[in-house]
Amino acid sequence: MCGIAGLYAYLDVAPKVDRRELARMNTRLAPRGPDGSGDWCSPDEKVGFTHRRLAIIDLSDAGAQPMHSADGTLTITFNGEIYNYRELRDELLAKGYSFRSHSDTEVLLQLYRDRGPSMVEALRGMFAFGLWDSRERRLVMARDPLGIRPLYYADDGWTVRFASTAKALLAGGAVSRDPDPAGIVGFHLFGSVPEPFTVWQDIRSVPAGCTVTVDATGPTEPRPYYSVAQALSRRAAGTERDPARARALLSEAVHDSVRHHLVADVPVAVFLSAGLDSGALLGTMAELGARDTLAVTLAFAEFRGKPLDEAPLAAEIAARYGARHVVRTVDRAEFETDLPAILDAMDLPSTDGINTWFVAKAAREAGIKVALSGLGADECFGGYPSFVDVPRSVHLLRPFNFLPGAGTLARRLLTSGVGSALGLHPKTAGVLEYGGNWAGAYLLRRSVYMPWELDDLLDPALLAEGLRRLAPLSRIARELHGGKGLGDFDRVATLETSLYMRNQLLRDADWAGLAHGIEIRVPYVDPFFLAALPPGDVLGGLNAKAAVADVPKPPLPPASRDRRKTGFVTPVGRWLSDAAGVADDGSFSTASRAWLRRVWQAGWTGSTVT
Amino acid sequence: MTRILALVGDCYGGPGGIARYNQDLFEALAEGDADILIVPRLGDATGIALPDRIRQLPPVFGRLAFLFSSLVAAWRHRPVDVVFCGHVYMAPLAWIVARVARARLWVQTHGAETWVGRRNIVRRTIEAADMVTTVSRGTRHILMAWADLAPARVRVLPDTVRDVFQPGPRSPALADRLQLGPGPLLLTVGRLSATERYKGHEQIFAAMPDLRARFPTIVHVVAGSGDDRARLEGRARELAGDTGAVRFLGFVPEEDLLDLYRLADLYVMPSSQEGFGIVYLEAAACGLRVVGGQGGGSGDAVAHEGIGVLVDPEDKNALVEAVTRLLGQGKADQAAVDPYRRSHFAAAARLLLARLQVRPRRIRGGS
Repeated sequence: MCGIAGLYAYLDVAPKVDRRELARMNTRLAPRGPDGSGDWCSPDEKVGFTHRRLAIIDLSDAGAQPMHSADGTLTITFNGEIYNYRELRDELLAKGYSFRSHSDTEVLLQLYRDRGPSMVEALRGMFAFGLWDSRERRLVMARDPLGIRPLYYADDGWTVRFASTAKALLAGGAVSRDPDPAGIVGFHLFGSVPEPFTVWQDIRSVPAGCTVTVDATGPTEPRPYYSVAQALSRRAAGTERDPARARALLSEAVHDSVRHHLVADVPVAVFLSAGLDSGALLGTMAELGARDTLAVTLAFAEFRGKPLDEAPLAAEIAARYGARHVVRTVDRAEFETDLPAILDAMDLPSTDGINTWFVAKAAREAGIKVALSGLGADECFGGYPSFVDVPRSVHLLRPFNFLPGAGTLARRLLTSGVGSALGLHPKTAGVLEYGGNWAGAYLLRRSVYMPWELDDLLDPALLAEGLRRLAPLSRIARELHGGKGLGDFDRVATLETSLYMRNQLLRDADWAGLAHGIEIRVPYVDPFFLAALPPGDVLGGLNAKAAVADVPKPPLPPASRDRRKTGFVTPVGRWLSDAAGVADDGSFSTASRAWLRRVWQAGWTGSTVT
Repeated sequence: MTRILALVGDCYGGPGGIARYNQDLFEALAEGDADILIVPRLGDATGIALPDRIRQLPPVFGRLAFLFSSLVAAWRHRPVDVVFCGHVYMAPLAWIVARVARARLWVQTHGAETWVGRRNIVRRTIEAADMVTTVSRGTRHILMAWADLAPARVRVLPDTVRDVFQPGPRSPALADRLQLGPGPLLLTVGRLSATERYKGHEQIFAAMPDLRARFPTIVHVVAGSGDDRARLEGRARELAGDTGAVRFLGFVPEEDLLDLYRLADLYVMPSSQEGFGIVYLEAAACGLRVVGGQGGGSGDAVAHEGIGVLVDPEDKNALVEAVTRLLGQGKADQAAVDPYRRSHFAAAARLLLARLQVRPRRIRGGS
């Protein structure tokens, strides 16, 4: 994994690349790539790239970046891994292309030469890159289909700048810190900033599954090449209905994905919890021949000897598959010590990522660079309560959509004091108003705050403008566009994959992992894997979690199947409440609200330096 | 061929920077095979020889009449591919015409008007435009804070400096006529209007005593006239101390302006709100280094080490230091001015038109 940044002064009047600015961005990206550093400027000094390297494939200097094509006309700065690069390399060799290295980076250059920007469609992996095509005088920026690797850009009308992190763009010194109302309101609603927004007006994310090209007139609007809704819709048309066959398909898909995700020239570890998803990864790795795999488990001093402690069961799973097991215990003192570093590493405000921070820290201490994570399994296999709650809410409450004003009236009534007198959660007030459609029900399920609750937290003008620009409900609903014939399961899967997973889980895995120089690989987050699974309604009826437990041979131990999902039930919730200075009533909601306010108070926009 | 209907405040036959910008833009597009019909609210092109493929209708000032004549023009110029709107305030009207004509909408913004005109309908129609162009990065930033516009749709097309502005020898005749002394000469060109006090004349007057301590014969030359002149002359007497330190020339005809630039040693205008500041560029194109003001869009033209520096208009010491430093640096670097020359502007304008046409139309037909 790596850090990338660059700039292209596309207007004639724009000044040439300031190498000091590139150097400042590079410095901010340093933790992402401790193994090497490089930069490059075009001969006319209108384009400059920089790169920090975490060497994982082709550790030699031949894999160093920014990398040029043999004729010097193409230059790339690339962050990520291409798991099918060997297949692509063979295809290109057969077509007469030649290679000077064994790196996946060079495959990208030749593939671009062969297919142009649409080459992204052939890539299996996680990636973000900037590629300069000097013949066409165009910069191509691209991001993987599901948004594993981040990529941000800032266009001031003269020069476009891009980087792996928004904070690297700010560190360059040429990008304004003025606030973006849509991103700020989005963070307060969801607990993470919905792309393409950031909390800064001039910085946008290249959306997952999109390319942005920059020519002499500046960047185009992001061009999508992948849609989760469409992919699941295609899958739903599949005819495989037999449960036994569906289980076999699922098992094949996991094996295939894990096999691809093991491509590396350094050892690959696994983040192991007591749950099924990471256990299935470890079991499959063992089945595929990985020996002596390192498995890292996070434990909390507060839980030692209690049912919530994941370490004993994780140890059983590790032993079953012959892994070396490292249990890393975290306590509150360590959390408090790390808190300033956590907030500094946090690229965009987020209410999550703490667990990943510590497990990545543990992996680093164990000398590891690459680890597989079970992230994304809940989105694929229906592991969240939302897979039940959201469809139920929509079907039950849909009639209220036809009573204009009834929902709003109910909400007004319940927020006027009746609700708290009844001891209801503040969000309950919005059930009738929001619960009868997919976007509203999803917002209710996933939001930290609801729109009407933000009056006390945000400046009224900023809130109004932010809500207008963000348009949260239509933004959520848009994710379902193009998903013809999607059933309940697939609708929730689409929303969770393209909103919660993308804006929160994957972004947090990126900053929290790479702050420690750890590349987190996510075999359950892969379009090829998604497409290979049985149709959503079959998965939904299958008890997919049990099927996951049977994926490796031998299967996961019975204890791990029976264990209830603990989710966020870690002491982190309590630490967060304490760090935020509120009484802990034991509920996740109170903790995340308090933590959200604490994170936001760290100071993000304007002249404050974080 | 692209058929453009241009709805503008003024163009041919109109005074001022925006009229000139429009002319430069339309000529660049017409050279690139666009066919342009201009509907102005002010300015009469009668008797002016217009370039090929550019026509201009007689001016129509009244709002409703202007809308009516624009719709008639759209019909007669059909099929219109692009409706160009030359002023933010006219955006709602241009939006209607674009919708009726099923054309793409291009809104051009210049400066102050984008952050003054905060009426909701104006904002909504600008947000519906297919492309918005601004003259500077600063204007773009402010515009995007005000309106919800995808960054890709807001492009910068900087003002261009006409080729007549070039470095050249001092005119001894003008020097004799004006009797400005041995100098150095600080020059400020611009309207002396009560509504444009942000240009920073008074800040220069206030700095003159300090500057005279360093350069005993330094003179601030103020070119331009307007309703604020008498007041400014009073302020100059109060602030500058020495009566010879500031010279008001009044309106300077265009034929003398070039010689005036070539006569001066430094262009100084610590403006806080300049939309673009074409005068900075004209001065630099004649070889003058420039001290501009932070704020507005002036940073674009000035903030190049080969041209000049920006100072905080309220910081007198910074102004004194900047003037002192730049007086010692000689002529402005013409390579830095070059990208603002007409050939670059014309190429950029034509690329923007091509980009606009590649976009899928946002505006669907009304019927």
